[in-house]
Amino acid sequence: MVTASLDLVRDGALLTLVGGALALDRRGAFQVMVSQPLVLVPVLGLLMGQLETSLWLGAVIQLLWMSSLIVGASVPPNETLAAAVIGAAVLLYGRHCGVVDEPVSALAVLAGAPFAWIGRWLDIRLERGNLDLCIRADEAARAGTPFALARLPALGLLRTFLAESALIAAGIAVTMFVLVVVRPRLGTPEVKAFEAVGFYVLPALGLAVAMTTVRRRRALLLSAGSFLFVLFGIRFLEGK
Amino acid sequence: MSATGAVLTPASPADAEPRVGRLTLLRVLWRSFFFQSACNYERMQNVGFAFSILPALTRLYRGEDLKRAMARHLEFFNSHPYMTDALLGATVRMEEDLAAGRTTEDRILSFKATMMGPMAAIGDSFFWASLKPFAATLAVAGVFSDVSWAPLVFLALYNLFHLTLRIYGLFSGYQMGERVFEKLYQIDLVQFSDRSHYFAGVCIGVSGGLLVDHATRSEAALGQNLEAVLLIALVLIMFQLLKRKVTMIWLLYGFTLLCLAMILGLNSFFPLIER
Repeated sequence: MVTASLDLVRDGALLTLVGGALALDRRGAFQVMVSQPLVLVPVLGLLMGQLETSLWLGAVIQLLWMSSLIVGASVPPNETLAAAVIGAAVLLYGRHCGVVDEPVSALAVLAGAPFAWIGRWLDIRLERGNLDLCIRADEAARAGTPFALARLPALGLLRTFLAESALIAAGIAVTMFVLVVVRPRLGTPEVKAFEAVGFYVLPALGLAVAMTTVRRRRALLLSAGSFLFVLFGIRFLEGK
Repeated sequence: MSATGAVLTPASPADAEPRVGRLTLLRVLWRSFFFQSACNYERMQNVGFAFSILPALTRLYRGEDLKRAMARHLEFFNSHPYMTDALLGATVRMEEDLAAGRTTEDRILSFKATMMGPMAAIGDSFFWASLKPFAATLAVAGVFSDVSWAPLVFLALYNLFHLTLRIYGLFSGYQMGERVFEKLYQIDLVQFSDRSHYFAGVCIGVSGGLLVDHATRSEAALGQNLEAVLLIALVLIMFQLLKRKVTMIWLLYGFTLLCLAMILGLNSFFPLIER
């Protein structure tokens, strides 16, 4: 029992640190898109040996926050933190608590989604806090000390990493609590209801959000055409 | 003498024409990947810009001139992080010119202030609003088709444009100076951006088709073509609500509650699902 709990904490800490490190890519460092849910969740899944589950989950989370764009000074909901929280909680549940089915994924998304908005609040706080770095940069310029200026971005990244990792850890704890408490108590009708949420509501909402990123009316018609083509193409190929 | 009257102190007395080398430019490129690490609400990306250009400044200036140069690049700056490399390259060239007495501080400041807005607009519309949704929906369609390496396609496709533009922008910016934007406009990112919306539209449709197919095979399947009708109806209703500024989180919880209430409510009147 104690060993199992220690393993859970160790895996949780690993996912928190990796999630926190990848989250830096969202704004502070590189921006090569490894912080996107589509990549981040499968990376966590690889660490936990559950690539297949994480690929689907990452894709659905990616669709849900597809319109979350950092444009100018705007601060959108932090989809990376939500993805880290949801992905890590589902993977930990699958490794230590039980089978990951559609109700588990749906519950995790519902419990973890608010962390995107808490992440947004954290981003605003961090940017306000960075004003201190701006003042220190001015001092470095007045003193003519390039080294003092050169270490400020590292300080900014360290702050972001610590704050976001702490939020991811808290998010995983809350989401795991919801999964462990709620999932075993669900009766068959509730399981069916959450399956419907997982199979219909989440993908439909993801697709609707993705459609809002398409800015051409004719592109939407192409969407409808390709949807029908794929759907009936699959059935035709299967001889239905 | 500098244009503002201060005496310039060349970094090396042997340098008649102060220049930064290729290695220095590579250091500027590397640092530009941390451009937004100290972003703040007062002067936005100013620390990132000064940090990125610092290797060039320390090559060109010493003493008071270095202090002035550092302070010059700590002014307000806000642009798209990928497009900034072109601005950085051009600014390094202008700093060389300033060190050689061929331009003025004011010209560098006004160049940055004038160009950061248009560059941000191009970068935002191409990378954030077009390429990212296109690459992501393509990879999502791949995942729904059971292609396990689809996320790698997303990374490769996105970064092909991202890294190429960064490297090309910095070096062509350095070569062409203020005229770099004539070169960037020739690439016509706007046209790329326009086309990527159509590709994204196709990928969303493909993803939808694959999702319906997946739902048809699930334990929650309703049978026949009900999945397709249900999913299309849900997507269209949600799309209309999103366009009317209802946020995603409200739709997520709202439709979940509706779904739970419908299934559990119906089941209490007509108990089809046994406990």
